[in-house]
Amino acid sequence: MKAEVTSELGQLCLRGLMRVWFDFERQLGRVPLIARLESGRFDRADYRQLLLHWRQQVIEGARWISRTASSFDRDFAAVRSEVISHAQEEHRDYEVLEQDYVAAGGDLSTLQQGRRNAGTEALHAFLMYRASQTNPVDMLGAMWIIEGLGQKMANDWAGRVEDATDSNGELTRFMRYHGANDDGHMEKLYALLDTLCRSQADVDAILRTARVTGRLYALQLEEVDHE
Amino acid sequence: MTVYITATGHFLPGEPIDNEGIEPLLGRINGKPSRLRRRILESNGIRQRHYALDAEHNTTHSNAEMAALAGRNCLDQSALPASRVQLLSAATSQGDLVLPGFGSAVQANLGLSDIELHTSHGICSSSMMALKAAFTALKAEEHDYALVIASELASRLFKASRYEAAGGQADFKAEFLRWMLSDGAGAFLLERRSRGLCYRIDWIRGFSHADAFPVCMSVGHPRDTHDHRTWQDFPTYAEAEAAGALLLRQDVRLLDQIVKLGVDGYLRLIDSGWIQPDRIDHLLCHYSSHYFKSRIHDMLQQAGVGIPESKWYSNLSTRGNTGCASIFIMLDEFRRSREHQSGDTILCMVPESGRFNTVYMQLTVMEENRQ
Repeated sequence: MKAEVTSELGQLCLRGLMRVWFDFERQLGRVPLIARLESGRFDRADYRQLLLHWRQQVIEGARWISRTASSFDRDFAAVRSEVISHAQEEHRDYEVLEQDYVAAGGDLSTLQQGRRNAGTEALHAFLMYRASQTNPVDMLGAMWIIEGLGQKMANDWAGRVEDATDSNGELTRFMRYHGANDDGHMEKLYALLDTLCRSQADVDAILRTARVTGRLYALQLEEVDHE
Repeated sequence: MTVYITATGHFLPGEPIDNEGIEPLLGRINGKPSRLRRRILESNGIRQRHYALDAEHNTTHSNAEMAALAGRNCLDQSALPASRVQLLSAATSQGDLVLPGFGSAVQANLGLSDIELHTSHGICSSSMMALKAAFTALKAEEHDYALVIASELASRLFKASRYEAAGGQADFKAEFLRWMLSDGAGAFLLERRSRGLCYRIDWIRGFSHADAFPVCMSVGHPRDTHDHRTWQDFPTYAEAEAAGALLLRQDVRLLDQIVKLGVDGYLRLIDSGWIQPDRIDHLLCHYSSHYFKSRIHDMLQQAGVGIPESKWYSNLSTRGNTGCASIFIMLDEFRRSREHQSGDTILCMVPESGRFNTVYMQLTVMEENRQ
């Protein structure tokens, strides 16, 4: 069971975030690449393509989390500590992803020369912009989506990738890492809900940022097939 | 225009079969005991159920006969003679015939004359879709009286001979539901007037998500997931059967979605003001397994909109999971055995895993003389 959210605004926000998440999952289900993965029509080339595009967002991920931390003033010192430790934990994750790409038969230099697709550009620009505002409480919504992906989808997707590519864990260490660790990260987000939801405006901002993050994340995955 | 459920009924075939009695009845596949049976039964929490099959695998009641018996049982609870029924709305996942619609056979079995007919086809939520069709027909003042019947005869799919014809070894996806589903039928009479202690239908609302998720529970796909033919695409039915395309399958990896989507619909109905959690007196949820009950309960608690366990009612453990008939059989037994009074609010939830359709209904208990 998750850390308990007790305040009325925290609960309201949690319900909203749950709905945003459920809607996000349905958006993912409509992405052609994910639909192929879920119906077993997925191969190694699809997987390499996914990692190629994902790498850009993973690299940028640590940047917007760090920026978020630096934008909280002393009134939010505890939140800042939490976010800094999170950024520290994840800022070199992309190296694991690179190893998976090579293990899946990809060429490292191709991966390293990869560029952000239209969805990643939009997602990154939005997150850096929001993270740069003073006390960006709404970034909790962005973290809800990104960490939720790790906690709720990574293991399932890793299993499906392994089935579809006839492999074991050697191609999916990045996904498996997030599947194993993001539970703890989500616990911390639950704990932040009561702290950060101080007004209806905070709740609205968190939900809006979660919604936009989810939409742009799905767009990023849609763009994988447009290359 | 207000619509009421003024009578309910059910039919469960034969004697109840306990957990030890299932395999002797359905048969051991290639003579071997199932290795999954105990684990699945422990998690679903069903202790007994009914089958319209005898020990020789003869069908004791057709699906339409069961439906008719439930319909008759419902009308027997009412003052309304069968001749007054104007609309029959019937639901099942599998009629006795592939064609025509199930409702035709039920009408013939009940001997109802000059009625309008509706057949709803699907899995667990098809009964709620049939109910909604009748509810809206009465609301539109097209009719005054409607009989809604949901019936399932799943056990015919679970005979050992079916698995043997499909190559013997049952894969997990094909065997899972063998220990979950059983047979039965339930019925409601709908009227535009209240009668005795009855239920006013406040609203029925469904959310379907087939555009966002793959098929989760189905008959018609072969065992090989890379083979995208359906049962009718094979040269002969014998080849489709050998490929396992006529077995009932559940993709258990997708099952978690049912919990989330069940909660999602509930939160949507709260946001739109249709549900007020603290005003719900009884919750009847058609979950297929006790495992899901705790998942749904915990998620609602976490969201701060939980319904206390004392308000949950289910007869899954003693009547089994009868697919679309479950929620009707549940409300019928609730009506006969659970204390409730005028003014109480009942929420019914049917999250279906087929391709993810969740349907909700709110009822208010009414008493005729207090109108």
